[in-house]
Amino acid sequence: MRSRAFDRRTFLQMSGALAAGYAMPSFAMPSRERILVVVELSGGNDGLNCVAPFGDDAYYRQRPNLGIRQQQLLQLDDHFGLNPGMTGMHRLWQDGQLAIIHGCGYDNPSFSHFTSMAYWQTAAPNSGNPYGWIGRLADAMLPEPAPNTIINIDAAQSLAVSSRVHSPVVFDDPMRFERLGFAGTRQALADAPHTATGNPARDWLLGVAKSARDGSALIRAACSNYRPSADYGIAPMDLDKVAACIAADLPARFYYVAFRNNAFDTHVQQADLHQRLLTYASDAIAGFIRDLEEQGQADRVVVLAFSEFGRRVPENANLGTDHGAAGPMFIVGRPVRGGHYGDLPSLTELDAGDNLVPTTDFRRVYATAIEGWMAPGRSTEVLGGNFKPLPVFG
Amino acid sequence: MKNRLVPWLPGLGAVLLWAPIVVAQEWALDLAPIDDADWSPARAAHLLERAGFGGTPEEIAQLASMTPEQAVAYVVRFEGAPAAVLPPFDHSGVFEAGLDPFPPSRPAVTEAAKEDGQALGITVKPGGNRRTQAIVNQFFYWLRASRLETGRVAYWWANRMLVSPRPLEEKMALFWHGHFATSEDKVRDYRKMLQQIELLQRHGLGNFGDLLQAVAKDPAMLAFLDAGVNVKGAPNENFAREIMELFTMGVGHYSETDIREAARAFTGWNFTGTQYHFNKAAHDAGSKTVLGRTGPLTGEAVIDVILEQDATAQHIAGRLYRFFVRDTLDPQLQAELGRVLKSSHYELAPFMEVIFRSRDFYAQESIGTHIRSPVELVISTYRKLGLKAVPGVPDFNVVTSALGQNVLFPPTVAGWSGGRSWVTPGLLFERGNFVLDVMFPDVAFVPPDRYPGYSAEIIEVQKRLRAGLDISRATTPAGVGSGGMDMAASNQLADRDEDFNTRYGSFRGWQMALERVQPIPRNVAQVDLTAMVLASGAATPREVVESLAMRFFAVPLEADTLTRLAKFLESELGTTDVKAAETFMEEPLRQLLHALLSLPEYQLG
Repeated sequence: MRSRAFDRRTFLQMSGALAAGYAMPSFAMPSRERILVVVELSGGNDGLNCVAPFGDDAYYRQRPNLGIRQQQLLQLDDHFGLNPGMTGMHRLWQDGQLAIIHGCGYDNPSFSHFTSMAYWQTAAPNSGNPYGWIGRLADAMLPEPAPNTIINIDAAQSLAVSSRVHSPVVFDDPMRFERLGFAGTRQALADAPHTATGNPARDWLLGVAKSARDGSALIRAACSNYRPSADYGIAPMDLDKVAACIAADLPARFYYVAFRNNAFDTHVQQADLHQRLLTYASDAIAGFIRDLEEQGQADRVVVLAFSEFGRRVPENANLGTDHGAAGPMFIVGRPVRGGHYGDLPSLTELDAGDNLVPTTDFRRVYATAIEGWMAPGRSTEVLGGNFKPLPVFG
Repeated sequence: MKNRLVPWLPGLGAVLLWAPIVVAQEWALDLAPIDDADWSPARAAHLLERAGFGGTPEEIAQLASMTPEQAVAYVVRFEGAPAAVLPPFDHSGVFEAGLDPFPPSRPAVTEAAKEDGQALGITVKPGGNRRTQAIVNQFFYWLRASRLETGRVAYWWANRMLVSPRPLEEKMALFWHGHFATSEDKVRDYRKMLQQIELLQRHGLGNFGDLLQAVAKDPAMLAFLDAGVNVKGAPNENFAREIMELFTMGVGHYSETDIREAARAFTGWNFTGTQYHFNKAAHDAGSKTVLGRTGPLTGEAVIDVILEQDATAQHIAGRLYRFFVRDTLDPQLQAELGRVLKSSHYELAPFMEVIFRSRDFYAQESIGTHIRSPVELVISTYRKLGLKAVPGVPDFNVVTSALGQNVLFPPTVAGWSGGRSWVTPGLLFERGNFVLDVMFPDVAFVPPDRYPGYSAEIIEVQKRLRAGLDISRATTPAGVGSGGMDMAASNQLADRDEDFNTRYGSFRGWQMALERVQPIPRNVAQVDLTAMVLASGAATPREVVESLAMRFFAVPLEADTLTRLAKFLESELGTTDVKAAETFMEEPLRQLLHALLSLPEYQLG
C-alpha cells in the first residue's frame, strides 16, 4: 500500500510539473512533516445532541422533545452516544482515533456568532488581535516567508490563518485557481518587481498576487489528478481537496476548511437538520481519514474540529436551540489516543442564561495540538499564556 | 484649470488627474467641506466612484464643471439629475396558490401530507407506488423556480445599477442589503426578496428610523430570522439579537437580558404571504425592561428605544463610513459622525452630503484605498466600457458569486465582510478571468438558468430514466457503492422512504421550473474599444495604455508596468501609429485591456 501511494505521488509530481510548464524540484523522499487540518463547524454546533449524555436524566428533562433516545444513539459507553448520523465518526471512535474534549469554551462568553468565532480564530478573546492562531503558530515555526505553508480552502480567507509572515494560499475551486488568458497577455502580466507604494491596500494586493502565482499551478496539478479512495459523502467540506494536496506532497503544514455559512445555526425545527449536518461532517472527516490511510499518510495528519459555541441547554419552543456557551471539540486521526478528555459540564448547574459552564478552556485544546503534535514548547508564545495540554497524544 | 475637464490627453492628463492627491495629506479626519478651489476632475472621479459605480470621462467632466457643493447635491439629492425611469421587475408568474405558507423542509411537507392527505395544494394518491411524489415534486419545483426567479431579480437590479441616472439610490440599497442581510437560501420566496430590495431602494437615502421599522416588519427579514415562530411564552431570540448586534448598536452596548426582553416584545410579529401580520394572541403584552426602559413595550417601542442610543447612531455612521470612505475608522471620528447622524434625526441624505463634501473623503488616505466589491468591480467595468445593459454572457450571478458576492444570497446575517476579505489569491485570478469573459465571450457558454450544471446529478438521473431504469435505480448516484468503497451514511439515506423519492423530485422540479421561469437574455457585451481609444486622442501605444489606465484605474500605475503593456500593444499592432491600426486593432486592444484590468491595482476604487 505504501509503495502504491508513493507511485501515485511521484506521478502527480511529474504531471504537476508538466501542467505548470516548468521544472519542479524532485522529491527524493516524500515529505514526512506533520500536518494539522482545522475544520470549522460554523453556526454553533449543538454539542448536547452531537455527543449526547444519555446517562444523565437532566438531558431529557432539558430536552423533552429534542433529546435523542438512547436506543437511537451510536453508543460510546454507558453514558454518551453520538448523534445517529455520525456513523463515520463512530467507526473512528471504535478504532481509537477519535478524541472528544468536553465542555470547551471560555469565560464571559460572547453569544454573537461573529464575535465568538473571531475569539476562537484568534485564540484571544476580547483582544482584537489581527492574526489568527494558525497564522501565529506558522510564524513561530517558520519565521521566514515560505510559499504554500498555509492553505485555506474557502470563499474568503479565515481570520484563523491570518499571519504576519506568511501569505496564506486561499482558493475555493482548485480548477478555477488559474489566470486564464492568451499567451501574449500572460506574458505581459508575468511578474514584475513591485516596490512598496505607501498605499497599504495596494501593497497588500501585490502580496496576494505573489501568493497566487506561487500556489496556483501546484494546487491545480494536485487536485486535477486526484481520485479519492474513500467516500466523503454529500458535503466533503473540502477535505477531499486537502487530501489531494497532501498526496501531491505540497509543503503546506496547515490546512483550514469549514462547514460554511453558519450552517449549524439551528434555531428552529432542528432535529432532522442537525442530524443531516452532522452526518455530512462525520462522513467527510471519516472519509478523509480513510483516504489518508489508503494514501499511507494517516500517521502524519491530525484533524481538529470546533464550533464557535454550543447551544442553550433547554430546547426552545420552536423545537430548536438558541446560542449557548460550551461545547465539545474533536481531535481525530491515527496519531491520536482516542477517548474522552475534559469533564462534561453539569446539566443542572447552569449559568444565569441556562448555558453550560465551560470546564475546558478551548486554548488548552489548541495547546494540545501545538505541544503534542506541531511544535512542542511553543504554545505559550503562540497562545499568549500558559494553557495545559491534554494527554491526547500520549 | 478648475471647473473644466482637463482634455483627456494621455500622459499629460494622467499627471493632472492624479497629481492633486499628493498634497492633501492633512485632510484626514477633517469633516470640514473642501473649498471650491480644491475641486478637480480627479476628485469628481473619486466622488462618482464611491457614490455610484464609477464615471465615464463625460460624467466626470460634467461633475467637475460644478462646485463641489453642487456636485454633491447632484449625486445625493439628484438636484438637476434626470428622473430615474427604470422598468419594474417583470415576473415570470411562477407562484401558485397552495405554495403559501411554504413548509420549512421536505420532511415537514411529507409529514403534513401523511397527516392531512394533501399538501402544497396537491392531494395524496389514494393507492399505488410513491403516493406523495407529486407533492415532493411541487416542493422542489418551488425551490428551483424561486431560486431561478431570484436570479432574474438580481439581473433586474444589476441593470438599474448600470443605467440609473441616480446610482447612489442603488448603491445605498446595496449597502443596506449587506447591512440587513437576508438570503433567498433561507427565505425561499423571490417575491419577498424583491419586495425587500424595493424597500431598500425606496428608503435607502431617507430616514434610518423609518427604514429600520420597515425592515423589521419586512416578510423576507421576518422569515430569515425566524421571527414568525417567536411566540409568547417561549420567545426566539434570533431576531432580537441580530437587531441589536448587527442592525443597530453593535456588540458591547446591550446585555443578554436586553435581548431576552426585546425578544418578548417582538413576539407575535409574523407574515402571511408577502404581508406583515401581527398575531395578537402570540404577543407577550407584559412588562419588559429593555435598555433601562420599562413598560409593556411593543416591538416598535423597542426599536424606538434602540434608536435613542448614541451607540446606534455611531454604529450606523461607522458602517456607512467604512463602506463609502475607507476601512479604517478613527474612534473619535466615529463619535463625531454619530453626532452628525443623530443631530439630523437619522436623515441619511444630509449625512451622506457631509461625508461626500468632507476633506477626509478627499484625503490621500481615502483615495484609491478601497477594495472594490465584486458588484462594484463588475458594474463599474461595464459602466466604463459604456455598456447600456448587463450582458447575459458572462452570467452576472455566476460571476459575482464566483467573486464572493452573490446578491440576494449573502453568506450570513452579517452580510459580506468587505475590505480585504474580497480578495484572496484564488479570487484575484477570478477577477481577471471575469474581464477575459467580457472581452472574449466564452463560445462554450451554457446558461445556468437553463442547464443544471451545478447539480449535474440531475442530468444523470434523466439519462438513466430515459434508458428505462426504474426510479430507485435511476436515482442511485453513479460511482457510489461500487469499487469496494464504503458508502457514506448520507448517500445511504437518500431513498429510504417508499412514499416518494427526493432525487426524482429534484429532477422533476427542475423540469417544471424550466417550463415557467422566463429565460435571461444572453446578449454578449457590445464593446468598441477602437472608437473609445480614437476618441481619447491617443496616438501611440504608450498613450493608449495611459488613456485606458486613466479611464479605469483609481491609482496611477508604475511606469514599468505602463512600458511593459505599451510594448505588448506595439508588438500586437506592428506599428507605433495607432491611427494607422484603426481597422485591425480591436482584438489587440481587448487583449491589452484584459491584461490591464487583471492587475492587482485594478481592484482599488
